[in-house]
Amino acid sequence: MIDSEEASSALAEIKTIARKVRQSTIYQLSSVNLIMWGVLVFAGYVAIYFAPRTALWTWIGVAVVGSAGWLVIAAMQRRRAKVQTFNLRVLAAVLLFLAFGFFVVLLGHFRPHQIAAFWTIYFMLVYTIVGLWTGTAFVVIGLTVTALTLIGYFFVGEAFNLWMAAVNGGGLFLGGLWMRRE
Amino acid sequence: MAELDEIIHQPLRLKIMAALNALPAGAPGLEFARLKKLTGATDGNLGAHIETLSKAGYVTADKAFVGKKPQTTVTATALGRGAFARHVATLQDIIAGAGGRP
Repeated sequence: MIDSEEASSALAEIKTIARKVRQSTIYQLSSVNLIMWGVLVFAGYVAIYFAPRTALWTWIGVAVVGSAGWLVIAAMQRRRAKVQTFNLRVLAAVLLFLAFGFFVVLLGHFRPHQIAAFWTIYFMLVYTIVGLWTGTAFVVIGLTVTALTLIGYFFVGEAFNLWMAAVNGGGLFLGGLWMRRE
Repeated sequence: MAELDEIIHQPLRLKIMAALNALPAGAPGLEFARLKKLTGATDGNLGAHIETLSKAGYVTADKAFVGKKPQTTVTATALGRGAFARHVATLQDIIAGAGGRP
């Protein structure tokens, strides 16, 4: 038989391992979405750079395709990993998040580059906050993309949409690949 | 007070069972490579302890090919989950018996 100190140590070890499994599972499940959104966002920004007048429909298209992909991925993860990553509460949170964002853009009368910068930083804020609970990778992705977005907004000028393709799209894509490794 | 499960109580086997029991019941298990990263074990050490747990009926180790690469997936059995739960309860009892909080 062991003493209480050894028992405490064993329980602490169990908790540590369980936390690592939860984090790696979150990373594994999230990585697919990040890679998908990274590709879509990259394509969206490149399309807008060459055809700026199509911005609204481009982003609507990205949102529709991305949302459909998100639902498909969630269904597959639920079937395969027995983990539910999407439910009505998540949907409600996403809709509230988007509604607030639209109100801010509407009331602020943002110009195109300001709209792009705002939405990217707004999404990255969520990544950063969520990362405080789920794992460092989210925080790093959130803060890095935010910083690079601000650099692009203030210094890049006309190539801003190409910059955002690389920073936002590329950032999500690389972040997803990083999470898959973790 | 129940006895500790001597098969599970070995440090690396405890980590293996802790990792597998952190997954929901019915979920696919953990790949060998992922278990190795989580436990910090070497290939040989991990393989030997998985074999011990498998002989006890606590885990299954399923080998498959993903493309051309062999992949082993380790999953806790119902027997293993029950044994792990009892082992954790015993650990908590030991702490409580000494006046501590688990």
